[in-house]
Amino acid sequence: MSEEHSHPTPAQYWKIAVVLAILTAIEVALFYIDQELQLGFLNAALLISLAIAKFIIVVGWYMHLRFENPLLNRFFTGGFILALSLYGIVLAALGVLVIRGG
Amino acid sequence: MTDIIHEPELDHHGEHESTGIENRKLGMWIFLSSEFLFFGALISNYLLYSNRGGFPSPYPAEIYDIPFTSVSSFVLLMSSLTMVLAHNALSRDDQNGARTWLFATAALGSVFLGGQVFEFTDFVVEYGMTLSTNPAASAFYLLTGFHGAHVAIGVIMLLSLWGISRRQGGLSEKHGLNLELVGLYWHFVDIIWIVIFTVVYLLSIPPV
Repeated sequence: MSEEHSHPTPAQYWKIAVVLAILTAIEVALFYIDQELQLGFLNAALLISLAIAKFIIVVGWYMHLRFENPLLNRFFTGGFILALSLYGIVLAALGVLVIRGG
Repeated sequence: MTDIIHEPELDHHGEHESTGIENRKLGMWIFLSSEFLFFGALISNYLLYSNRGGFPSPYPAEIYDIPFTSVSSFVLLMSSLTMVLAHNALSRDDQNGARTWLFATAALGSVFLGGQVFEFTDFVVEYGMTLSTNPAASAFYLLTGFHGAHVAIGVIMLLSLWGISRRQGGLSEKHGLNLELVGLYWHFVDIIWIVIFTVVYLLSIPPV
């Protein structure tokens, strides 16, 4: 197994899991707050930010991408950005992003 | 002419290329990056049809059980923790620990799958939302169904590794790499669910 850099310890993995659980709890709380206060765009921005934070934590620490060969990072990030750009353009062209923002 | 062959590379690192990364590991990362395109298409499809009105009800966003799905999401997130603990235990040659955490990951994955089966059954039986009720329902079942299929494949791979470990009294170095690859796949399934949970469940708006 390739242990190129020092990976987090089990205790650190547990702490990361607690952070992920807290972020998920905040997401669910935001969902209910939005039901009452109709936060609209702010709610969407906050939920997407929290999802991005969870995504980066899992990829960086649990998948060890931040400790791996930079080539893997380029492949993975490249695929992600390609998909995001492609479908972002498609959804914008079809008016979905405008409808959902409105 | 024999000077052209790079003997040292063939000798000790049969699975390595000039990248310095095991071929199978590199292949798994490339496969996972290509999966973004696959799930991106399904998520876009859902976004395209989720609030397109004029079809029979119910729409998925009208009947989501957010507390239930939140617990399912939590279970899948925690399965990423047990997966990484299995990987960590194996890197310390703690075979019993690796086996226990592998089984825990498979169990949590199975709980998530059970939750999905319950959700689908509830939607069909209680609310009458089938695959053909409206385009949003079709897109919802297609997306979450394919994700569930990925989880099921992950559970099978985890249980296979657990079975090999039990039969052989531990995982060899070769199987250790297998565990790492299965772990990458498992975490990927988790990050896709992070996106689905936010975009499909928490941000969905039913048609007015």
